[in-house]
Amino acid sequence: MTTLIEVSGLRKLYRSSFRKPKIIALDGIDFQVKEGELFGLLGPNGAGKTTTVKILLGLTHATTGSASVCGLPVRDPESRRRVGYLPEGHKIPNYLTARQALSIFGRMSGMTSADIAKRIPHLLDQVRMTQWADVRIKKFSKGMTQRIGLACAMVHAPQVLLLDEPTDGVDPVGRREIRDILRAEADRGVAVLLNSHLLSEIERTCDRVAVLRDGKVAAFGSVKDLTQKSAQYKMVASPIDDSLVASFRETGAGVERVNGHVVLSVDDLQHLNTLVDQLRSRGGVLSELTPVRETLEDVFVGLVRAEEGVSVGAHS
Amino acid sequence: MKVLAANIEDVMREAAARWTLIAYFFLSSLFIIIFASAVNLDIVDGALAGMKLFGKDTDAPEMSIEKFVLGFESGFAGFLYLLCTFMAIFATAHLVPRMQDKGTVDLYLSRPVSRVKLLLSRYVAGLILAGSNVLYLMGAMWLIMVWKTHVANPRFFVGGAIIMLVIAVLLAFAFLIGVVTSSTAVSIMVTYGFTIFSAILVTHDKIAAAVSKDWQAWLIDGMYWVFPKTFELGQAVVAFVGGELMPDRMSAVLNPAPFLTTAAFGVGSLILASWLFTRKEF
Repeated sequence: MTTLIEVSGLRKLYRSSFRKPKIIALDGIDFQVKEGELFGLLGPNGAGKTTTVKILLGLTHATTGSASVCGLPVRDPESRRRVGYLPEGHKIPNYLTARQALSIFGRMSGMTSADIAKRIPHLLDQVRMTQWADVRIKKFSKGMTQRIGLACAMVHAPQVLLLDEPTDGVDPVGRREIRDILRAEADRGVAVLLNSHLLSEIERTCDRVAVLRDGKVAAFGSVKDLTQKSAQYKMVASPIDDSLVASFRETGAGVERVNGHVVLSVDDLQHLNTLVDQLRSRGGVLSELTPVRETLEDVFVGLVRAEEGVSVGAHS
Repeated sequence: MKVLAANIEDVMREAAARWTLIAYFFLSSLFIIIFASAVNLDIVDGALAGMKLFGKDTDAPEMSIEKFVLGFESGFAGFLYLLCTFMAIFATAHLVPRMQDKGTVDLYLSRPVSRVKLLLSRYVAGLILAGSNVLYLMGAMWLIMVWKTHVANPRFFVGGAIIMLVIAVLLAFAFLIGVVTSSTAVSIMVTYGFTIFSAILVTHDKIAAAVSKDWQAWLIDGMYWVFPKTFELGQAVVAFVGGELMPDRMSAVLNPAPFLTTAAFGVGSLILASWLFTRKEF
């Protein structure tokens, strides 16, 4: 798969007022996003997420390091021909109708009037805004404005989508629809970089994530890898009496009773199988045995609270 | 061209939606209608025999109708010079600050358009908006005069061209202030203040003679030559439109220096605005 977004050793210092030290917004971050991939960028406020996206769009310039989109350096305006961007809290000129906004931004992206005329009905249908096509944006709710913002980002069929809080203000049904749209875009080869505070959205939508903290990548990997707690399993069985728990503990396993089931902490799979054998030898019936996963929020909070220098997650 | 067309459409739609365009043309139309209905000329054998203003006789001296038209149009062009430049800056100074709003600027800059091209497209769109009003006002007044006197003075439009030059220069300066401050109010205030200050500098010789130190005199003279010559160009509008009616004034304004230095100031402002906009981080 082709790499569509490449960030290497990106560092950004912001000048502060006189005699005060410079602020380090980004401190040498690296990541790549390939075609067809949904990539999430997470981090607490001030971690450098927005700065990263702004550098990718040429809105701000990196102090050192490089960034490219579709193989073109981000300083080249041509790189933006392949990028669609939805900023957080965007203000699409509200005196325009949805159709006029799509037409103006389509032409600014180099599209011909004929192409725009063909594309607009399809896009409006995709974001479920067909009946609002000729209504001024100032009449729209926040969720509707967000849908039109997404349509404006996609108007020129870009190869890369950079989306900042795309589901902000959108109702649950709308969120699902937006997730479906993003998945469909990824399926046709678009690289989607999602910047959101809604961790559940990222968890549901993204294939891989990078967690930024203090301008550095604190964790990087697939959502599955980041959320799997090593060597913890949930066991639902009956009966799980005190003598069984005691025999588990004798093998060195950690056992915690939680709402009618137990959470086992084992050394490895062999150890886990030993515990299952013990259960069966006592006539117990196993009805569920699953690896314990953290939510992305647990991982995120853990990373944010972790002290500097403590490695958490699968940083690579 | 697509970018320019998109920006022109954007600027015109904004002007229409925010009532700027309607107010702009409503005021101009009101002015034209009042003028057309208020002035009645009594022409006998190609000479102005009398004039009624709002139905009342005025003691206009008897003169050839050509002379009357030249005199009237030159005076009127001087008035339009002030009116059109004032209205143009008021109607267009927001174009850059509003584009630089957080959440809006990202939408424009994330398109495959260089920042210079984006800024210049909006500048041209602003000039078209202001120019359309100048053309409307001057064209309508010219037609009314042709209708009432049967005398066509094409020099009236030379005055329009000079007005457009001044609007272009002041708009470039307003864009520069807009890029730096991102404030519509500051852009308007600074541009108006600057226009008045530039007009005062026409007396730079007297001011320079009155100051006590050499460097102050050089500073005053230097500012005069660098800043736009808003007063001289206003005089030029009147003299060019009046033509042979006022040969002394005409010869006084035939000096190209005020035109060239004013145009250079506009180009310099636009280059500086483009350079700062290119370097600006959002």
